[in-house]
Amino acid sequence: VKALLVRLEPIIWGLFGGGMMVAALLYPAYLLVFGVAGPMGVLSESALSYERMAALTGNPIGKLVLIAMIALPLWAGAHHVRHIFLDFGGLARDGLVGSLCYAVALVGSVVAILAVLAI
Amino acid sequence: MSELRARVDAMRPEREGPTRTADPRPPDNFPGRGNYVPYIAFGLCGFLLFDVAFGILWSAQVLAQHDAAAWEAHLARFANPLWIVWHVFCLAALTWFALRFFGLFPKTQPNVKIGPFQRPSLAVIGGLLNVTFAVVTFIAVLVLGGGLL
Repeated sequence: VKALLVRLEPIIWGLFGGGMMVAALLYPAYLLVFGVAGPMGVLSESALSYERMAALTGNPIGKLVLIAMIALPLWAGAHHVRHIFLDFGGLARDGLVGSLCYAVALVGSVVAILAVLAI
Repeated sequence: MSELRARVDAMRPEREGPTRTADPRPPDNFPGRGNYVPYIAFGLCGFLLFDVAFGILWSAQVLAQHDAAAWEAHLARFANPLWIVWHVFCLAALTWFALRFFGLFPKTQPNVKIGPFQRPSLAVIGGLLNVTFAVVTFIAVLVLGGGLL
């Protein structure tokens, strides 16, 4: 497993780098609107309505952005979590932890693609 | 006068002994002091990335049901004060995460020419990243919040 992770390292690093950039650029705005301003009633009622959200995410560009917003940061998160376990637990369980982290990211990415395409 | 040279095996012990390499151990300040604190906090933000990504996936799955009532019920859940507190924490943590990332990113760039041009200074790259962050955040808030599109 460890050898496979080493062989996949360039692909994982690409997904990790993309995820870092997407999360850093878009997550604060998402959290501000969906997590804070919307629930606190700061926005107009129609801003987060089903019709508007379906229209935003129903076109190809919206779908692409939404898939990128979900899938890529999962790989960034997986890489960070793996390295936290490396820092505290050493190399002994890296094969298992790394595989689990990237498996979560992979399954999440596939589910995200299917969910977004169904919108 | 003959040339004096050290013999290559001058420091070799007379007998084979156990390797004197120390066992690996974390640095003295790890993980609770000095620069290790923000380093560990930055790594722990990986769990928040998982949380927010799966939160967006949850919303996408609700949207995929094509049911306006289910969407309204989904949004109503987020009005719970505990959700709001959690999202405020995530907002603060991931904003810090983003700004730290944009601070670290320029240091990873090699000092090479890009075509005929010299690479911009690290301060310029860092400044551009921070300006991009501010502009993209502003536009994304406008789009998601209903002020644009």
